[in-house]
Amino acid sequence: MPGRETKTLRIGVDTGGTFTDFISFDGNRVRVHKVPSTPDAPERAILRGLDEILDGRGVALDITHGSTVATNALLTRQGAKTALVTTAGFEDLIEIGRQNRKELYNLAYRRPPALVPRDLRLGVAERLDEKGGELLRLKASDIKALNQKLRKAGVESVAICLLHSYANPSHEERVAEVIRKSGIHVSMSSQVLPEFREYERMSTTCVNAYVSPMMNRYLKDLELRLDSGRLRVMQSNGGVISSTMAGEEAIRTILSGPAGGVVGAYEVASRAGFENAIAFDMGGTSTDVSLLHGGVGFTAETEVAGCPIRVPLIDIHTVGAGGGSIARVDPGGALAVGPQSAGADPGPICYGKGDQVTVTDANLFLGRLDPEQFLGGRMTLDMEPVKAGIARLAKSLRIDDRQAAEGVVRVANQHMARAIRLISVERGHDPRKFALISFGGAGAMHACSLAEILGIPHVVVPGDPGILSARGMLTADVVKDYARTVLLPLEGLSKRALASHFSPLLQKGREDLKYEGFAKPAFSLFIDMRYLGQSYELTLPYQPETGVDLRESLRAAFDESHDARFGTSSPESPVEIVTLRVRGVGEVERPPARRLPKTRRDVSRALMGSRKMVFGGKQVEGSAYARDGFSRGNRFKGPALVCEFSATTVVPPGWECRVDEWGNLVLKNSG
Amino acid sequence: MAKTFDPVLLEVFRNLLFAASEEMGVALCRSSFSPNIKERKDYSCAIFDTGGQMAAQAAHLPAHLGSMPMSVEYVIERMALEPGDVVVLNDPFRGGNHLPDITMISPVYGRERGRQKLIYYVANRAHHADVGGIAPGSMSITTEIFQDGVVIPPVKLVRGGEMQEDVFALILANVRTAEERRGDIAAQIAANRVGERRILEIIERHGLAETLRYTVELQKYSERLTKAVIRDIPDGRYLFEDFMDDDGFGSGFVPIRVEITIRGSKMCVDYTGSAPQTQGSVNAVESIARTAAYYALRCLVPYDIPNNSGCMDPIEVIAPSGTVVNAEFPAAVAGGNVETSQRMVDVILGALARACPGKIPAASCGTMNNLTVGGMDHRAGPRQGRPYAYYETTGGGMGGGPWGDGEDAIHTHLTNTLNTPIEALEHAYPFRVSRYTVRRGSGGAGKHRGGDGIIREIELLGDATVSFMTERREKAPWPLNGGEAGMKGKNLLISGGEERQFSGKARLSAKRGDRIRLETPGGGGWGRKD
Repeated sequence: MPGRETKTLRIGVDTGGTFTDFISFDGNRVRVHKVPSTPDAPERAILRGLDEILDGRGVALDITHGSTVATNALLTRQGAKTALVTTAGFEDLIEIGRQNRKELYNLAYRRPPALVPRDLRLGVAERLDEKGGELLRLKASDIKALNQKLRKAGVESVAICLLHSYANPSHEERVAEVIRKSGIHVSMSSQVLPEFREYERMSTTCVNAYVSPMMNRYLKDLELRLDSGRLRVMQSNGGVISSTMAGEEAIRTILSGPAGGVVGAYEVASRAGFENAIAFDMGGTSTDVSLLHGGVGFTAETEVAGCPIRVPLIDIHTVGAGGGSIARVDPGGALAVGPQSAGADPGPICYGKGDQVTVTDANLFLGRLDPEQFLGGRMTLDMEPVKAGIARLAKSLRIDDRQAAEGVVRVANQHMARAIRLISVERGHDPRKFALISFGGAGAMHACSLAEILGIPHVVVPGDPGILSARGMLTADVVKDYARTVLLPLEGLSKRALASHFSPLLQKGREDLKYEGFAKPAFSLFIDMRYLGQSYELTLPYQPETGVDLRESLRAAFDESHDARFGTSSPESPVEIVTLRVRGVGEVERPPARRLPKTRRDVSRALMGSRKMVFGGKQVEGSAYARDGFSRGNRFKGPALVCEFSATTVVPPGWECRVDEWGNLVLKNSG
Repeated sequence: MAKTFDPVLLEVFRNLLFAASEEMGVALCRSSFSPNIKERKDYSCAIFDTGGQMAAQAAHLPAHLGSMPMSVEYVIERMALEPGDVVVLNDPFRGGNHLPDITMISPVYGRERGRQKLIYYVANRAHHADVGGIAPGSMSITTEIFQDGVVIPPVKLVRGGEMQEDVFALILANVRTAEERRGDIAAQIAANRVGERRILEIIERHGLAETLRYTVELQKYSERLTKAVIRDIPDGRYLFEDFMDDDGFGSGFVPIRVEITIRGSKMCVDYTGSAPQTQGSVNAVESIARTAAYYALRCLVPYDIPNNSGCMDPIEVIAPSGTVVNAEFPAAVAGGNVETSQRMVDVILGALARACPGKIPAASCGTMNNLTVGGMDHRAGPRQGRPYAYYETTGGGMGGGPWGDGEDAIHTHLTNTLNTPIEALEHAYPFRVSRYTVRRGSGGAGKHRGGDGIIREIELLGDATVSFMTERREKAPWPLNGGEAGMKGKNLLISGGEERQFSGKARLSAKRGDRIRLETPGGGGWGRKD
């Protein structure tokens, strides 16, 4: 009933491959909802879910959306017809890339084709030097001719990437101004990624040009159908932005969904009292891991569908190991698991259609998954064909059935452990000082064994681990990132000069966040530095302080950070300031977390019975619990299973589980 | 066959050992200084057992596949490595391959019943942009090893954890860019430490006995799969011959010849009949001749198998000494590792094409198109008044194959180094890149055409010494099965509007404003064009 509403309903919507998840907050209550996804038109599932949640109520909506539209456009190469404007003589850069091949011993190696075909790559006569100085003037007549070619070619989107434009955007801006008048979507490299290294900047800009028109249309359409309310989009950097900005720079949403999960995991970890944690999201086909070291971690180096992307995003590492990963015997006699996956169709053997043993089948065989409690009992898993499948696998490996099933789980764990090592050990962090936050459909079955491999002492399984991404979207702040390559020697740099280099970034941030509705955003500053002559930079936070010598403090911080990360430092070498970064944050109101009430109920209320499980080749008897029967402070020991709608938690022997005040399962290795 | 290993543990250890060697590479890449190592990743890292057999090598550069084991072998036969030691070497006649590739070897000691025991070796090798010698970049036209640069026989650069500053100073005094070398060598030492630490962690968790046992099992595993591939090749003797353009001193064509014998699961690669060692620096050493053979066969293995000694054991290599494929001291060898090595791959693949034509493509570009430039940087800024040495290789066309066209503008066979970004290059050196494009139409025609080469043109902002070390300027990359050859490469100097073409191997003094243009060869075509 319009007119009567006073409250705003905040909703987090995460479009996933199988389900679209919703979480809503009306100022008092948090509610959860799920509808099947509609991959060909993702908005249908969203609108249906919203209808079901609202049920005729007229309230203003404030929606945060995790979208896969940009990612899918890139993965399936179904983006806009895109042209690329380059400095003349460099039209093939996007094709040559870094001149290397991904597979060393493949005589038939081919790169994925460039996003922009050769006939749509147009050079323009102009040249800047590395300081942004003009070496060759850009002629207006050339821009005009270029624009005519683009119109004639009928392109929908144009990426502009000229050499050294990070140091001086004026040539790109002049080209953009003319092309925009033709109604073509324009992505300028000096705006999308004003950083040096032309191939990566060009690739990032091309991806943006390629996916933005589609994303823009999708969001406009969705907004129109929502007819009232505000729509924001989750970005890969863990923050949200308005749908208008997301449509302009869709590249910033390329890992939208997984980013929501990490933000959600961070919330869970800090509330549960773990400052340092590893987010572990295991799904059907792949596993995403991310390091939370006093906050969410970021990277600017990733690759999607063969295209390097250099915008800041949550540092998420993905491996092709999930519940549906297929086990097989390789030609040398080793047991291999994944990356091939049975997916949703045919799925694992236990779903009824598949005939190849998957990780999920092995878990079922070992009693780590309750065949009666899958998806809250909506689906019954079939054990008999699983037994036959495991027996076949065991026979070809010449080991017994239990060894084979445990082997499948163990090899899958090894792949995931490798992913966690990559984001922790290889970056100078000791995983033994971290807690593992487990979510996603399959995570909680593996979390404790994985923690054992890595020496991680604690595992946390939040409630509803399957919808953590949507929850993260509801708690994410509005975040905008800005960067600019300056390449200045630290020696001789004054505070004032540094401030003047930062100032345009801050000004842009204030404008953008004002547009998003934040009068007083918070800004953090960062500086990428390196020893002169190096080619990799370290990003360090920077706080302008009075009474501190700028050079000395930056120098000391850099030497220390270099030593921590790489085990060496070089205090005599000159230091170079490469790129300045600014992050602007508009804080949103977070839904309050609900504490479980204090009761005297003991754990027996949740007990469903006992189950047989296999650990270390032996069959043991363990308890099975229903998660919604737990009360705050309940404790129990493994071996045990905890069943809930979207996941099963395995508590192996030697582990103890406690239900904390927020309803998290906190598992501790006491063995 | 009795089962001797646990298939689960085999997979577990394969992951662990590979990850350890990869992590060494991450450490090296991230903390080194020179663009050649950092941006272009011109390095390799590996782990060896106490017998010097390779246990794991990260997927870095194929060029170091067979040559790292020979370094380790050479060192451990002659030196006792104590805990905390790091041996450095680059001497091609004592375990190295060519002087710019500096190798670091460290022992890994573990504890067994309270006593220190040698359990593994870790090693890494990186291509340094300058190691002294006659011209900046140390990849020039020379006639004896002493002109190539500073020769470092295996010596302990770190002894019991103590840096031997005098040894280090001696090395640094003989190179042009000492600061950069200091940083890169420190990074190489750090990489070995990472490898050592990681191995000790694996042992802490899995025990020494089991780790050693599965190191051997993994070697056997790769050996089994490699043998299966050889068994698939029809038994017989297969000959092939190709030529290097010249040695840079007017030698004319330098024949490289190979006879491959396949018998069951054994393969013998015999280079007998190749030219005697040359005056100029296209000589290779034995480790390179082996690498070419290991690489070529590795390409025929259809699975992703771990790189270890098992990939090499089934292959016998005969490289007569005193020839261009196994030169004797004091031959100049700067180009052997980068140029002759590619030709050795060409002849081995050419011979294999006669044995299994459905699996082998036409010749790829066949050269790394090495360009070195050195001089003084006169630009205002932090580098002003400092000497610089620039080294870079440029890709070309890949040969077309039975499966389809060859890829354009890419590094092939033994190299896979990245290009230096233009914007990074123009910051670091007094250069202006004026063109970087695919050399359209340079790939050989055919049912499946060869890939096109690259055109890269650089304007010099100051006087400089320029060296070309390139091939396939006289003999084009060959086609197969009725296709056409790839286009030959060109080395050009454009000075005051005048274009001069240089031979494949040349050293010249260029002036400010001159432009150097490389036009790299295309790949050969496969099959007759309809």
